[in-house]
Amino acid sequence: MSVLAIAFGAIFVSNVVLNQFYGLCPFLGVSTKKSSALSMGMAVTFVITLSTMIAYVIYHKVLVPNGIEYLSTIVFILVIASFVQLVEMVIKRFSATVYSALGVYLPLITTNCAVLGVAIDVTVNGTGSSKILMAAGQVPTFFEATVYALGISIGYALVIFLFSAIREEMAAYPIKRNWQGIPIALITAFIMAMIFVGFGGIV
Amino acid sequence: MARKPKSLKEVFTAGFFKQNPTFVQFLGMCPTLAVTGSVENALGMGAGVIFVLVLSNLIISLIRDFVPNEVRIPIYIVVIASLVTVLEMLMNAFVPDLAASLGTFLSLIVVNCLILGRAEAFASKNGPVKSMADGLGMALGFTGGIVLIAFFRELLGSGSITIWGDLALQLIPETYQISILVAPAGAFLVFGILVAQVNKIRFNKEDKQQQEVA
Repeated sequence: MSVLAIAFGAIFVSNVVLNQFYGLCPFLGVSTKKSSALSMGMAVTFVITLSTMIAYVIYHKVLVPNGIEYLSTIVFILVIASFVQLVEMVIKRFSATVYSALGVYLPLITTNCAVLGVAIDVTVNGTGSSKILMAAGQVPTFFEATVYALGISIGYALVIFLFSAIREEMAAYPIKRNWQGIPIALITAFIMAMIFVGFGGIV
Repeated sequence: MARKPKSLKEVFTAGFFKQNPTFVQFLGMCPTLAVTGSVENALGMGAGVIFVLVLSNLIISLIRDFVPNEVRIPIYIVVIASLVTVLEMLMNAFVPDLAASLGTFLSLIVVNCLILGRAEAFASKNGPVKSMADGLGMALGFTGGIVLIAFFRELLGSGSITIWGDLALQLIPETYQISILVAPAGAFLVFGILVAQVNKIRFNKEDKQQQEVA
């Protein structure tokens, strides 16, 4: 499959939030303001792309040659947790502006299942749960895996930003008490997911 | 906290309704939406969460006195990840079909906020028996929540409930099925409506209590 198809498929067709249900807690939690959604989207993009690259290398260069693939879950979560910690320290040391924008969101990302989910999808499962990356049985190359991870995270940032813009507008309208907050947000996400189903025919 | 310690029964039943992880606390929402396309998957996921949460609460409450406070979160994550790996191996060995249909979400139990949340909020402060009761109660509440969502999605979406192939129940004729509910998008709709109904019941109860006080 061409690189362009992988990227388009990852951003729109099997959108990480609306189609694969990864990373919902921050999607609903950090999407009440546009500015915080944008920061979260940027932080997630950065972490997903880089940690998938690291996980890919570790899986194929360390775990597979030694026949210890079954340890992948433990290894990946440790790698992601320490990587996030490292990123936080580096940002804190070198850029106060970036840290004030992204700092609070970084620890949250460790338990964002999108990061671990994408890492597992491109390595252990090979194809990704949505099968858009590769046909069954094929192993994606490092480049394809990176493009997929980048596409997935752009899709995440795009959807969380659009969603927060809708929620910001919605806050101005009276909503019945038992529908306020999470329930109405879920209905909004339902309508967005319906729209994204339309992309399915393209790839 | 200055409140008096809860009895074992209170700890066990807290997760059923009052602090239900699915409908009240919104913990572990990714599997809540992802595996509720069929009741069978929801039950499988629930069983997995019961296994991991009860054992992780037990282990963490046993080691809580030795774990240095600064590194407690990484240690909890390693305990949980090991248990999930055991679960993955068991499921792949004994119920490979179920493991395949849960897919990545089986591994993603590691980052289910419900499990780390209970470790941090309960097991790290309470004894092993209470922690296991808390883990079992919360995991049962979670299972009940996702099975309820899956029940509505599968019943209205495909017209029947199928559990392990032989227990099929065709209730709704094909013309009246709402197939979007079984598709990923439908998860948001069904979950949203159910949360609103649960909120309604909760708010009614709270209002009544306030009236009684006043």
